[in-house]
Amino acid sequence: MSAPHTNPLDHPEVRMASAWRYISGFIASMVLMQAAFIVTLRQHPPYEQYALTIAGLALASLVSQAALFFGLDISRAQIWKSVSLVLTVPLFVLSVGLTVWMFQSLAARTMLMPATTMQPTLLQ
Amino acid sequence: MSTQAAPGAAPRLFHPHFAGHDQISARTLGFWLYMLSDALIFAAVFAAYAVLNNRMGAAGGPIAPQVTNPLEGLWQTYAVLGSVATYSLGTVALKSGNKAGVMLGIILAIALALVFLGFEAHDLLGLMARGDGVTRSGYLSAFIILIATHGLHMVFGIIWMLVMLVQIPTLGFSANVVARLLNLRMFWQFQATIWVVIYVYVYMIGAF
Amino acid sequence: MQVAVPGPWSPLFGRLTLAAIPYDNPILVATFAGVAVVGLVVVAAVLYYKKLGYLWREWLTTVDHKKIGVMYVILGLVMLLRGFADALMIRTQQAMAIGPNSPGVLGAQHGYLPPFHFDQVYSAHGTAMILFAATPILTGLTNIVVPLQIGARDMAFPYMNALSLWLTVAGAALVMISLFVGDFSAAGWVGLIPLTELPYSPGVGVDYWMWAIQISSIGTTLNAINMIVTIIKMRAPGMGWFRLPVFTWTTLSTNIIGLTAFPVLGVALALLGADRYLGAHFYTAGNGGNLMLYTNLFWIWGHPEVYFLVLPAFGIMSEIIPTFSEKPLFGYTTMVAATFAIAGISWAVWLHHFFTMAAGPDVNGFFSIATMLVGIPTGVKVFNWMFTLYRGRLTFATPMLWCLYGLFLLLAGGITGMMLAIPAINYTVHNSVFVIAHFHCMVLLVVTAIFAAVAYWFPKVFGFALNETLGRGFFWTFSTATTITFLAMFALGFEGETRRLDYIYDPAWRPMLWTEEFGIALYCVSLVYFVLMLYVSLRDRVPAAADPWHSARTLEFLTPSPVPFYNFAVTPEVNARDELAWRRQHGLEHARPEAFEPIHMPSNSGLSFITGMCALAMGFGLIWRIWWLAGAGLLGIVLVVIIRSFDKNLGYEIQPAEVAAMEEDLSLGGIIAEQPKRAPLTEAEAH
Repeated sequence: MSAPHTNPLDHPEVRMASAWRYISGFIASMVLMQAAFIVTLRQHPPYEQYALTIAGLALASLVSQAALFFGLDISRAQIWKSVSLVLTVPLFVLSVGLTVWMFQSLAARTMLMPATTMQPTLLQ
Repeated sequence: MSTQAAPGAAPRLFHPHFAGHDQISARTLGFWLYMLSDALIFAAVFAAYAVLNNRMGAAGGPIAPQVTNPLEGLWQTYAVLGSVATYSLGTVALKSGNKAGVMLGIILAIALALVFLGFEAHDLLGLMARGDGVTRSGYLSAFIILIATHGLHMVFGIIWMLVMLVQIPTLGFSANVVARLLNLRMFWQFQATIWVVIYVYVYMIGAF
Repeated sequence: MQVAVPGPWSPLFGRLTLAAIPYDNPILVATFAGVAVVGLVVVAAVLYYKKLGYLWREWLTTVDHKKIGVMYVILGLVMLLRGFADALMIRTQQAMAIGPNSPGVLGAQHGYLPPFHFDQVYSAHGTAMILFAATPILTGLTNIVVPLQIGARDMAFPYMNALSLWLTVAGAALVMISLFVGDFSAAGWVGLIPLTELPYSPGVGVDYWMWAIQISSIGTTLNAINMIVTIIKMRAPGMGWFRLPVFTWTTLSTNIIGLTAFPVLGVALALLGADRYLGAHFYTAGNGGNLMLYTNLFWIWGHPEVYFLVLPAFGIMSEIIPTFSEKPLFGYTTMVAATFAIAGISWAVWLHHFFTMAAGPDVNGFFSIATMLVGIPTGVKVFNWMFTLYRGRLTFATPMLWCLYGLFLLLAGGITGMMLAIPAINYTVHNSVFVIAHFHCMVLLVVTAIFAAVAYWFPKVFGFALNETLGRGFFWTFSTATTITFLAMFALGFEGETRRLDYIYDPAWRPMLWTEEFGIALYCVSLVYFVLMLYVSLRDRVPAAADPWHSARTLEFLTPSPVPFYNFAVTPEVNARDELAWRRQHGLEHARPEAFEPIHMPSNSGLSFITGMCALAMGFGLIWRIWWLAGAGLLGIVLVVIIRSFDKNLGYEIQPAEVAAMEEDLSLGGIIAEQPKRAPLTEAEAH
């Protein structure tokens, strides 16, 4: 444990701030959400296609935020953040995805409900 | 990778004046890990929302299309993304040690965050005024708690920003203050990330 | 927006009335008398020997990872004793209340515990053992050992480390308070839903259970962050990833689980809290709630938690078996890979806790296969330990004995676990004591590893070893008791006994129940050995060498015993995977640094302790719905965090002369030594 001997403003994570990255991150996410919004309003495609489209747009927005806002990459300063994120995303997907799957299965077997009245969810 | 030093060479046994680790990096990594654990909090709430988001969960009460408005959600999305962008641009001023620039970024970020929270409070209070609060149904419980969890994070971020507005002029850009500003930047960007997921999953799919 | 609760409520005391104090229950009054006497003796001793200042300066405000670790272990041992007392009560009730003609005393129809009290006892047993005994003890051990193993002076965030401890203490304190003020949850340690909902559990018991877990698990999450950053950022020069000791690897993987699983538990309980406090309908039986949602969220945490406990136990065995075999660990790389494989799979198996929920065969099949997959890396580990033992120069010191018995338990628990992973078998034995016996084998594997670790690292921390003879007595009685109790329990499971019975309706189970009671009596004997072992070791205090086992292999045994509070006078350079074994092989194990240098250390702070107490007040206020107290506690926490952020303390430096003196006379820097007041660094000195 050492006392700070250097100017904290020279730290790589301070230096990595960049106006163009933040502005383009803002624009990218904004455009993608706007596009998803328009797709939603048109309501034309069937549900699966619609869900896949806006899920794709959301994913693009998340990736752009990771790269442009958070500035994640594999440089020395950021590598551990990138690695830990890559390890955590599957857990996020597993806990939500497997839950949806098992309740889907449960509902089909235990809830006596005509299929037409069911609210569509991501897996339908 | 070799697991043992080469034989023959005089081994070095101690490392005097070892500089140790860099405290700012340790703090940002620690905070990043906290955020990943926070992401799992949201994962669990999303899972709850997914399970309760159906007619059974609504128990005869309103369901997603009746309580979510994608257009209002879009304004909120702009507000939160704008808030994140202004705060992040404020940290660009940090590079040159420009206190006024950083503080301006924080003040604008707070203003936009308040716009966001205004929309949200309006939504939630409106629901409750109609009698569609958490006590109405499982679906509304999940919807309101999900939105409120994100909203509480935003409130917490605003309190943090207010503290930083005091610390920047009084403590200057010390290592501690700089680490907090960097952590706050990640925390704030994270709120936009979570909001995008909520917007897409709750507001837009709900409106279909 | 206050949900209606039965009974009186006042703004000042919330639901708390004098009737909440169970003075009419002789068991609790006697317990209270016992606790009060012990507490008074401790307080009187502290005051008589004028140690209050020492206690505050050196322990309550400390940021030293070893002291924090020791306090974690002490907390865990106290809760282990509490959980054991509960186990004794459960077994005794079941041994007494057999058949319709069995007598009843103390107001019970059969046996001596009325059903509501019995239900609280088993709920408290599970909660205390898993969350407040095993978890804190393992956290404490990793706190003590990992910074030493990687050649660091402290954790990455020493202040936050203390904060984690005091939050855990606040949670444990709530469990203990529930004994004497109000009651504890009667809905099982897992919180059987919808029994935990307000209409079915209108009392404060479930609230005690919920807030105690909630507060302590925040502490666990913070500790996980701290540990991961420490391992990533604070390794000594030369300590590459593939030179990390296996215990450090398992600590890393276990804390990745802790970091990601505990938040889900927090949500599961917070949503239950929303139901109980705000009238929400997440898990209610009507109004669109879904009961299985709770069970699902709870076990998303619950199963990774099992590996959260067992992986450090595997790490401990991987340290101790090579030491007492005088051989390097067989298959280091596969051991690391197996550790991470187990941690990874642990996220896709949780449904096996509720195969009987009625999900389809595809879902049950998926989770069944995922569960069986865990057996592969675990098998790899068992074979690695066996091959380490094979043709080793074995010494059967107590830590080694505990580890070998741990292998036996792992085998018994693991094979029955594979049986339970098959849905068809699971449907048959679900909720029977067969399941209980299975997971007690696993959890007792963790406990045996804990006792191994305590014996193994005790001399490092305190400078004297535990008494070997009494330690063996403790081992033999404890392991025999475990074998007898749980073999009988497996048999009862096959005979169809279901879990959580306060009355035994089938007298044919009597022989096995009495066998279990005999096992529990033997545990009591082992407890006597344990206390005697501590007493004799403390009385004799035979000084231990830096490496008390003469064959230890890792970096922590390079430091003198007791290890000074700054750990390493000069940071070591790591040359090999088993650094100490490598130095011994080259005749370098007694090498000392040529010169000392100033050491920078963080200053102590009482704020973490105060935060913990604020959390305790908040929890107590929420449980009894004393809103002002809950609000004040929360406000206190927020204020302390803000105050702390304005703190300009830069820590202090120890000068080389003082380091030299402490390296010469180890009692000056050891864990029980009182340090002189040292002035913090000024801004000018730091630059």
